[in-house]
Amino acid sequence: MTNNSKVAEQVLTPETGNKVAEQILTFESGNEMAAMAAAQINYHIMGYFPISPSTEVAQYLDMMKARGEHDIKLIAADGEHGSSGICYGAAVTGARVINATSANGFLYMLEQMPVQSGTRFPMVLNLVTRSVSGPLDIRGDHSDLYYALNTGWVILTARTPQEVYDKNIMALRIAEDSEVRLPVIVAYDGYFTSHQKRKVNYFKDRKVVQDFVGEAPTNFPQIRDLSKPISIGAHMDGNDFFNNKFQQSEAMYAADAVYKKVAAEYAEISGRHYDALELYHMDDAEVAFFALNSAAETAKIAVDELRAKGVKAGIISPNYIRPFPRAEVLEALKGVKVLIVGERADSYGSHGAPLGNEIKALLQDARNTETIVVNRVFGFGGKDFFPDDAHAFFELALETMEKGFAEKPFDYYGVNPGLATENLINTPVIEAQHGDVYKSGLIHVTQNEETGLLNVKVPPIRQLMNKPKRIASGHGACPGCGIFPALELFFKGIEGDIVVLFHTGCGYVVSSAYPYSSHKQNFIHNLFQNGPATLSGTLEAFMELKRRGEVNVSDDATFIMVTGDGGMDIGMGSAIGTALRGHKLIMLEYDNEGYMNTGSQMSYSTPLGHLTSTTSIGKTQQGKTFHHKDTAQIMAACNIPYVFTASEAFPQDVLKKAAKAQWYAQNVGTVYGKMLITCPLNWKSEEKYGQTLLEAAVNCNFFPLYEIEQGITTITYDPEAKNKKVDAAEWLRFMGKSKHLLKPENENMLNEFEREIERRWIKLKEKHSNKLL
Amino acid sequence: MAKLPIKNSNGLFEIRLESIGGLGANLAGKMLAESGVMGHGFNGANFSSYGSEKKGSPVKSFIRWSDDDVVIRDHSPIEQPNVIGVFHEALYKTLDVTSGLLPGGIILVNSTRDFEDIKKDLNITHGTLAIVDALGISVEEKTKLNTAMLGALYRVIDFLNPDSMREVIRKTFEKKYPHFVEPNLRTFDRGYNEVKMITYEDPTGDGLKEFKRVVPGLGYKTQIMGGVITAQANSLKKDLSSSRQGFLPEYKADKCIHCAACDSACPDFCFVWVEELDKKGRPQMMLKGIDYQYCKGCLKCVTACPTDALQEMREIFGYADKHTVKHNFPYVNGGAK
Repeated sequence: MTNNSKVAEQVLTPETGNKVAEQILTFESGNEMAAMAAAQINYHIMGYFPISPSTEVAQYLDMMKARGEHDIKLIAADGEHGSSGICYGAAVTGARVINATSANGFLYMLEQMPVQSGTRFPMVLNLVTRSVSGPLDIRGDHSDLYYALNTGWVILTARTPQEVYDKNIMALRIAEDSEVRLPVIVAYDGYFTSHQKRKVNYFKDRKVVQDFVGEAPTNFPQIRDLSKPISIGAHMDGNDFFNNKFQQSEAMYAADAVYKKVAAEYAEISGRHYDALELYHMDDAEVAFFALNSAAETAKIAVDELRAKGVKAGIISPNYIRPFPRAEVLEALKGVKVLIVGERADSYGSHGAPLGNEIKALLQDARNTETIVVNRVFGFGGKDFFPDDAHAFFELALETMEKGFAEKPFDYYGVNPGLATENLINTPVIEAQHGDVYKSGLIHVTQNEETGLLNVKVPPIRQLMNKPKRIASGHGACPGCGIFPALELFFKGIEGDIVVLFHTGCGYVVSSAYPYSSHKQNFIHNLFQNGPATLSGTLEAFMELKRRGEVNVSDDATFIMVTGDGGMDIGMGSAIGTALRGHKLIMLEYDNEGYMNTGSQMSYSTPLGHLTSTTSIGKTQQGKTFHHKDTAQIMAACNIPYVFTASEAFPQDVLKKAAKAQWYAQNVGTVYGKMLITCPLNWKSEEKYGQTLLEAAVNCNFFPLYEIEQGITTITYDPEAKNKKVDAAEWLRFMGKSKHLLKPENENMLNEFEREIERRWIKLKEKHSNKLL
Repeated sequence: MAKLPIKNSNGLFEIRLESIGGLGANLAGKMLAESGVMGHGFNGANFSSYGSEKKGSPVKSFIRWSDDDVVIRDHSPIEQPNVIGVFHEALYKTLDVTSGLLPGGIILVNSTRDFEDIKKDLNITHGTLAIVDALGISVEEKTKLNTAMLGALYRVIDFLNPDSMREVIRKTFEKKYPHFVEPNLRTFDRGYNEVKMITYEDPTGDGLKEFKRVVPGLGYKTQIMGGVITAQANSLKKDLSSSRQGFLPEYKADKCIHCAACDSACPDFCFVWVEELDKKGRPQMMLKGIDYQYCKGCLKCVTACPTDALQEMREIFGYADKHTVKHNFPYVNGGAK
C-alpha cells in the first residue's frame, strides 16, 4: 500500500444527508483493495493457494501482516482444494474466513463449494475471474465464475477497485445475516480490475468497517464450545436432503432483500450506494447492453458517444448475479426494444450463454415479448474489449431493432477465421529429431550380477555435444534461468527417444507459448496437481497399444514427467500414487524453492527464513517460518527403485544419474529425481553466478548429492571428504532472498537452519554407511 | 480542480511505456500515474500488459489521466498515446513501438545513438523525439534506469511538476533504503537535465501515426484442433537478442579448450559445435562459436569457462550480427531466420 494517500473530500449521503465516515483517497488496484478490506475487517483465517491473478491478495496481506497491520492468520495451503478445506474447517468454529482464487484454482476447490453453502457456513471468497484451462490462458474472462453459478454461493460483482473494496465489506454482512447464512463470492475481472490502479476511497479508521460488520455472530451451531458438542455434516437420504436444499434455496432468495438492506446501510457510512443493478442511461433506452464488470464500464464510452448522436442507448450491469435480481432486470427492460447480452464465457451447446438464457427465461415468465434478446459471447481469455467493440454491439442492436427480430440470437463476437497462408504451427523448421540421433552409444549401464546394482560409464560431456538437445533455443525463460541447463544435462544422459510431460510452471510456460513450441520430441502439458497420473496414463496406453500391435514403439522410449517444486506440492498425491503403482517413468523435479511462475510465492521447498512474496520480512516476521520439504526422502519412502538428487554444477554426476534413472524406468519402475536450480529473478542473485550458487548450496550440505538405489543410499559427492565444506552463510549471502539471515538479529534463525541441515546430513551419512537404513 | 492542458478526443492524456521485463517500466508507470493522481490531482488509471512474460520479454505499461471530475471508463490498452517512452531501444527489431502516436506526440528513447539513426530505425515520421542515455546515467549513479527515464519524462511532459516525483522518490526509499534517496534523486535530475529533443514536422499533414491492432494470422479455420502444434522446435524462428540488457559473452577461439562447460551452463543453447579432426587426426567436438540470436546475455558461460575463452563484453551495436555463428540444425525449407 502506498503512503501517498490523502483525505478525501467529505461527502453527504444521498438518503439522509448525514456526514459519511472519514475516508482516505488512494490510487490502488482491485487486489490491493480486496486485501485492504480484509485487513480492516481483520478476519481470523485466510487459507489460500497462489494462482494468477488472485495471488496478490495474499501477498498484500502477508506484506501488511509483516508490518503488523492486521492479525489474520494466513495459511499457505498445499493446493486450492486444501485451501478450501482450511477455510471450511475454520468457518465451522464461527471464525471469520476469507480466501481468494481464480480459474482452475476455483475449479480445484469446486467440490468444497457446495459443502460450505449446503452446511450453511458463511465466508467470503474473492474470485478474481479468469479463463479456465485448457488450452491454458491466464487472462481474464468469466468461465470460472460461471462454474460458481450452481454452487449455492451468493455472488456479488465488482466493476472497479472501489467496488472491490466496498463489496468485500458488504459481503461479510450479507453472508452472516441470520436470514442468509451462506458463503459469498466477490467476483472481479482478472487483470482488468485486479491489476488496474484507480482512485479509491477507503475508511481512514478501520473501526468504521469493524462497526459496520459487527461482531461475528455466535448464536448459530458452531464448534467452539466444548460443553455444547454438535455434529456437522451428517449424511441424508433424499427426503431430508431435498428439504435441506429447499432451505438453502430460500436463504439464497432471501439474500436479495438482505443485499438491499446492507447496501442502504453501507451508503450511509460511505456515500456510495449500490442498487441491485447499475443502470446507465436506461430511463428511456431503446437499445441496451447487459454485461458484467469491467466491460460494462468500457461500454459506457460508447453510450456517451451514441447519446450525443441522439441514439437512445443504455447499459445494465448487475451488482449481484446470485440471487439473480430478476424484478429489477424486468423493470429495467421496460421500453427496451433490443437487449444485447454480452458474456465472457459460454455454456457450450446450450444455444446461449447462462445469463442470456436466464434473461430470456424471465422475459418469458413475464410475458414480455417487446424486448428482443441477442446473446453474444466475447473477450475470452483476456481478449481486450475496446470501446469500438461496444459500438459494434450497439450497431447490432440497432440493426435488430430495424428488422424486428434477431437474425442470430446467439453467436461468438470477434472471432477470426485466420489467413490461409499462416503455417507457423504445422510447417517444420527442422527435421524431426528422434531415434538414432539421440543414441550416442557412449553411455553404458550394466547390472552387477552379485549386488544387482548398476555400473555406469559416461563419457566427458564434450563427447556428447553432437547429441542434439531435446529443447530448442528460442524459449522465453528469463536470462540465466536454471531450468533448461538442468533438464538438458539430464537429457544428455538419456539415450534414445523421450516423451515428456511438463507440469504448469515456468518451464512449461516459456517453452510452449502458442504458436511456438520449443520441444523437439513429444510433449504434453497438464495442470500441476496431475502430471504424474497423466503421464502414467500415456505410458500405459502406449504399452497396451504396443502389446496389441497397434503402434510400433521403439523399445527405448523413456517417459519423463517434468515438474517444479510447486507441482510436487499441489501434485504430491498424484506423485505418490504414481510411485506406489510403480509405472515405468521418471519424475524429474526442478526445485527453485518457490512458485516462481506466479510471482515467487512460498513453496514447501522454500528454506527457513527465505524471502518470498508470501513470506515477507518485517517487524513481525522474517521470511518463511518452517523448514524446507525433503521431497527426495518422501519419494524414497514409496520404495521405488531409484531416487536421486543432482545439480547442474556437477555435470558428470548428473549424466550418471540420468543413465541409471533411464535403466530403472525402462526395466523396473518409477524413478524420482530432484535437481536444485537457480532462479536469479526471485533469488535476487546475479545471473552469471548460477553455478557458483548451486555449488555453494551443495558444499554447505543444504542440498546433498546422493542416490537411493534399490533402497541403498549412496552419497555421490561428499563436500567434507573433498575438503570443500562451507558454512550455509557462503550460500545465503549471494541471494537477496536470504542475506538478511546473516544479520545479528536473525542469528537464532540462522542457527536453527544450520542445525536442520546438519541433522539431515548426519542422518544421510548414517544411511550411506549402512545399507539397511 | 485539476485540468489537463493537453487532451485527446476522449478527454484523456495517455502514455505508453515500451520495455522488457526487468527494467522497471512497470514500477515507473505506477509512480508516474500515481504522481499524476495524488500529486497533480488528475483522475487516472494505470496497468501493464500482463501475462506469462518473463524478465527480458516485451512488456507495456499504460498511464491514463483525465481532469479530476471526469470518470475514466476505458479498461482497454492504450493504442493512440500522447507520449511513448521506449525503455529498451532494441525492441524496434520485433515490435512497432511507436504505433499510434498522436499528432504533436512525444517519443522518449533510452539510447546513446544519434537522432537520425533512431528516427530511421523506429520509423518515426513526426512528433518530438527525445533521447536520454538512461542506462549510462544509472550505471554511473548505481541506480535503475527507470528513474532516469522518469526524469526525462517529467521534462518532456512539460505540465508535470518534477518536485512531485522527487517527493515520491524520497518517500519510496527513505524508510527502508535511506542511502538510495540521494542517488535516485540525482538519477532523476540527470534524466531531467540531460534529455535532448528534436521536433519533426509531419510530412503528410494529418499528423497521426497509424496504429494496427494485432490480429493473429491463425484463426478458427487455420488453428489445428485443440491448440496442437505439429511444427516442433519452431521457437528457433524467434529472435531473443532484444532480451540482452547491454552485455554479451565474447568468444576467443584461440583460448578455448572445448571442454563444453559453457554449453552445460547455457540456458538458451547458443553454443555451436562441429565434429572435426584434432591434431592427432581423431574426430572431436569443437566449439565453433555463439549463435547470438538466442543469447540473452546472462553470462553464466563466462563464469563457467575455465580459461579466458569467454569474456564479458559491453555490447556494441552490430557486434552480435557480425560475430554470430549460426546453428547447424537439419533445417527444412532453407532454415530458420
